[in-house]
Amino acid sequence: MITAPEIAFIAIIWLIVIVVGWLLAGFMYTIYSGRKSRLDRIFSPVERVFFRISGVDPTKDMTWKQYFISLLLLNSVQAAFAFLILSYQSFLPLNPQHFPDMSWSLALNTALSFSANCDLQHYAGENSLSYFSQMMAITFLQFTSAASGMSVAVAIFRGFSGKFQGLGNFYSDFIKSIVRVLLPISFIASIVLVSTGIPQTLNGYVLANTISGGTEILKVGPVASMTSIMQLGTNGGGYFGANSAYPFENPNPISNWIEVVLMMVIPTAFPFLFGRMVGNKKEGNVLLFTSYMLYAIDLAVAFIALSSLNRGMEARLGVFSSVFWTVTTTAFTTGSVNASLAGMNPLVVLSAFMGMLIQATPGGAGVGTMYMLMYVVMTVFIVGLMAGRTPEYLGSKITPSDVKLAMVAFISHPIIILLPTIIVFASGVASSAGIGRGPIGFSEVFYEYTSAAANNGSDFLGTAGNTVFFNVSTGIVIWLGRFIPILVMLNIAGNMNSRIRNFEEGLKTDNILFAAILLFSITILVILTFFPFLVIGPLLAYLEGIQNAL
Amino acid sequence: MKLPENVEKPLRVALVSLLVCGLLFPLAVTGISELVFPYQANGEQVTLNNTTVGSALIAQDFNASVFFHPRNSSASSVDPDITIGDAYGQIGRISNATGISGGTLKGIVNSLADSTLFFFGSRYVNIISLNLYLIKHYPSIYDRYVKT
Repeated sequence: MITAPEIAFIAIIWLIVIVVGWLLAGFMYTIYSGRKSRLDRIFSPVERVFFRISGVDPTKDMTWKQYFISLLLLNSVQAAFAFLILSYQSFLPLNPQHFPDMSWSLALNTALSFSANCDLQHYAGENSLSYFSQMMAITFLQFTSAASGMSVAVAIFRGFSGKFQGLGNFYSDFIKSIVRVLLPISFIASIVLVSTGIPQTLNGYVLANTISGGTEILKVGPVASMTSIMQLGTNGGGYFGANSAYPFENPNPISNWIEVVLMMVIPTAFPFLFGRMVGNKKEGNVLLFTSYMLYAIDLAVAFIALSSLNRGMEARLGVFSSVFWTVTTTAFTTGSVNASLAGMNPLVVLSAFMGMLIQATPGGAGVGTMYMLMYVVMTVFIVGLMAGRTPEYLGSKITPSDVKLAMVAFISHPIIILLPTIIVFASGVASSAGIGRGPIGFSEVFYEYTSAAANNGSDFLGTAGNTVFFNVSTGIVIWLGRFIPILVMLNIAGNMNSRIRNFEEGLKTDNILFAAILLFSITILVILTFFPFLVIGPLLAYLEGIQNAL
Repeated sequence: MKLPENVEKPLRVALVSLLVCGLLFPLAVTGISELVFPYQANGEQVTLNNTTVGSALIAQDFNASVFFHPRNSSASSVDPDITIGDAYGQIGRISNATGISGGTLKGIVNSLADSTLFFFGSRYVNIISLNLYLIKHYPSIYDRYVKT
């Protein structure tokens, strides 16, 4: 069981993250609402260069459709760049280990996965990617996908608030997110991470003659510059196959907790930002409170089984840090891992599932709060029906068409997870890939598509997933899981933006009572949707474990 | 040839972001790191007799019974650390092989051990540091086991 000092430790980490997130939200508010800031002197000139080269007029507002199409086009071009770089890396510079080109299906999977902030990996980077690919394909997409998610959330916030002209300009939001938020924080974090022992060099791998007379290859590279943005942008795809369990990506407890804080900061800042943008900070606090309560429940479930764990963990990190990381990385849909899931108790796996199925606990950079707003729309509607009132949120009517749209986003999640999972087992794919038919084999495949659809990226299958079937099918699921909810939520925000506000009649949504209702309705919605599948996966594995122990 | 605006703009933004995030950013971090933290930036390489014998962060095989051995199963498979219990468990074997007293070895293990949660949590120790300590302080015993 978890000890009192460990609970205190979690409380300290939460406190740090919430304070930093609150400060960051204040800073982001000035950025996205176009207010003056003392940092303009540094950032404005850099931004102007961006705007001039790319021909963007940042003042031009977009409709929700224009915003979405710009996002989709930009992400497609970026994915295409990465696909080409990975497919032709042997002809490109900075490839001291002379790695060959990636296969088309793996390059496709990787480009789709990283451009959508998922970072599911069917390859081990240290054995297959050149330094050029690690920088120009992977690190690049980790910045852009995080910036895309943040931009979308800001546009949705504008629409929900109704206090802005329109939803904003996508390219402007995207560039500002990179220049003012992601680059400066990642830069400082990278240098700090190097100081803890994470390599950052373009010199090739080092051949060492070991003390006992053998040889060993030290796989170094530009690791720290990727590790910082991979955590900060809730990307999660690591430099190494073993991700944050590999000592060069996470050398000690100090680097471990810096990386934890990095992955938690932006998703924690966004609900605060929402509160500021809608002009009532309490509205943001309610969303954050609900997210953290769900996150706390996940942690509690995972820590029930703590004493029976120890396989597949790094000695320097220990059981507590490994379990805390596993729950946090799925609750924030980052997907980096610092221990092997195969060694984890099924209850920890169950907790990880809950984070990815809800996607708002608090979820990924920007999009986590977007999902929370999807639940808010459904909850407000249900409560409105029960109380016999017109459903309203932030003074705006929630129409039946809004709720239908939110349901499309909600229902798409189980469909794109469960359909391919069923296909894998109904066709011969599972047995030909050597996947068992028991609860663990089922959990592996279910987890793969859940992680893909939730844009999480942590995985059970690992390089065993590198088949044409899994590469293409998870690639498609990743993009559907990313862009359907974004399309739908931008649509709702666009509709709400133009509605007349009336703050007199509606249900109060800025208090603890609404947080409780929201928490309850999210739990019911998600459990009703996924419970049978959780039963035949991790829950059955847990019960089998108890039976074997007896 | 002029591209339509809705193709040209994303292409331009993608190119600028590629150069800034994919190239300039990692190069800037590399430059500063090599300058300020050259030891860490290059993987904490450990040298012995002027030869690179490995990294302080990556496990390596120590076959002889006089050394502390790494664990084989772990998530990264190159875990350079072992738990304090694991280290204590190896003291008897090393003491028998070297004649160094168990108490002395335990003192060395304790002095090099760290904790997973800074002030509390489980304790662990780095086998490369441990073995290098033994090699440096007991040359008459260890010199013939150093094959590098």
